[in-house]
Amino acid sequence: MILLRILTALMCLFVALPIGWLVYAAFLPAEALLRADLTTFGWTLANFAELPGSGLARAMGISLLASGLTVTAQLAFGLAAAYAIRNGARILGLVLVLLALPSELLLVPLYRLLQGFGLIDTLGALIVPFLASPLLVFLLLQALRRVPWELIEAARLDGAGEATILARVVAPVLRPELVAAAVLGFAAHWNLVLFPRVTTTEALWTVQVFLTDLLRTRPFEWGLLGAAALVASAPILILFLIFEKRILATFEAGFRS
Amino acid sequence: MSSRRRAQLLALPATAALITFGVVPLLAVIRYATWQWSGTSDPVPVGADNLLRLLRDEALWRSLGTTTAFAALTLPTLLALSLAVALAIQATRVERFVKALLFAPGLITVGGSAIAWYLLYNPDFGAIPELTGLRLPWTTEPFAALLYVVAFTLWQHTGYGVLVVSAALRGIPAETLEAARLDGADEGAVRRYVVLPLLRPTLTFLTIVGTVLTLQSYTAVYLLTGGGPFGSTRVLGYYLYETAFERYQLGYGAAITIFVLLVTLLVAAAQAATLARRHPGEVSS
Repeated sequence: MILLRILTALMCLFVALPIGWLVYAAFLPAEALLRADLTTFGWTLANFAELPGSGLARAMGISLLASGLTVTAQLAFGLAAAYAIRNGARILGLVLVLLALPSELLLVPLYRLLQGFGLIDTLGALIVPFLASPLLVFLLLQALRRVPWELIEAARLDGAGEATILARVVAPVLRPELVAAAVLGFAAHWNLVLFPRVTTTEALWTVQVFLTDLLRTRPFEWGLLGAAALVASAPILILFLIFEKRILATFEAGFRS
Repeated sequence: MSSRRRAQLLALPATAALITFGVVPLLAVIRYATWQWSGTSDPVPVGADNLLRLLRDEALWRSLGTTTAFAALTLPTLLALSLAVALAIQATRVERFVKALLFAPGLITVGGSAIAWYLLYNPDFGAIPELTGLRLPWTTEPFAALLYVVAFTLWQHTGYGVLVVSAALRGIPAETLEAARLDGADEGAVRRYVVLPLLRPTLTFLTIVGTVLTLQSYTAVYLLTGGGPFGSTRVLGYYLYETAFERYQLGYGAAITIFVLLVTLLVAAAQAATLARRHPGEVSS
């Protein structure tokens, strides 16, 4: 047990070190780097002040728009699909197979498909292929299995239509899981790197494409790189800090069975 | 039409989306593999040329070897770490903190993670070589570069593994453990003979999902090494990306996609068969 605890402590250190250094670098004055003197603990916001001119704001806007719209569709489609499966629709096999296929593997055929739809280099390229997320369908289905079925039967006896039941009965009961699923879906889309890189050009670069490009064009500027990485992570980090307990619980519940 | 039937219709939007952007590309890639196509030009049908080229493409087979080495280094380590950490923190005060911390790299943006590693470990610009004078070998030594990608992957994903194992641990009824203790088993014995066997389906799940993903993913390689040095980190997925979108041979890229899918399918089938032979009845559960 002692051994396991030491290993856990080392693992925590291994995980925390790059994150800690990233935060430190973001607030590091440029002079500290020039003097190669990192021990004088100066800190500055100058690195963040440089960001507006770098194109990050534009990339953030595009990412927020694309990920926001995508996750909205994923929640609506996902909840409807989970409810349908719970009522006997036979698409779970399809969902599970696609769960194992990352979009980066299907880059070539997706590229051709988007070309056919005239979506290459449009905002649609970033959204349309991700309208339904197998992971979200799966997580919401697991959550739905724990909802007492009498609730739905009662609403049916009252004469409510299925879409109404979904919106007025199921969605409110699953609110915590929907929130958690939304954060996970948002993070997954926000984190796409190669897909947006390949299907769009500079005017539509997302945050990830912007960051990887920044690494290539300004490799010496620790402060700027750190600040950009922090700001780009902010939406996900904030969501996670607010909903941490909910997210971890939903994630665990999804894999418990 | 019954309410159940009407409710089933609600699957239509998601099903349409999953078929269009999941199943269709999966099938269409077979047709694209018969093209010579740069992505912008009109495709020229070339029959089985691309598929035949796979067989004599040395870079592809080398890449398969690299992928195998990458998976063999990553997966067992990830499983062992997930198990060790989940066992160590179970029902302790630090459980929530450790889980949140280990989960954090999965939520920091991927590009930000690449920057974080770069700022610390890059041999030319990173803080560690800068401050300690150490010469870090991952841009020059092939095997070190592979280990570097492995370490980054573990850094990113061990949190997920811990969550999954931890969830399974919580699913074990306290009475089962109590019964073993009453029978005189010490904690070590309880872990080895009661907890571990009960975790087997979870570890199987992680192994299969992990295998499928390690065989297919390559974002880490793109971010850290770009396949180098000397192609030592060029896993199959990255070779596919490089061929299609840096050398603009999308037809051959489609052929490589088929190759990666077949390899994944074969490995997953082999794993399932091994499990079925060793533990009959478990795979279906």
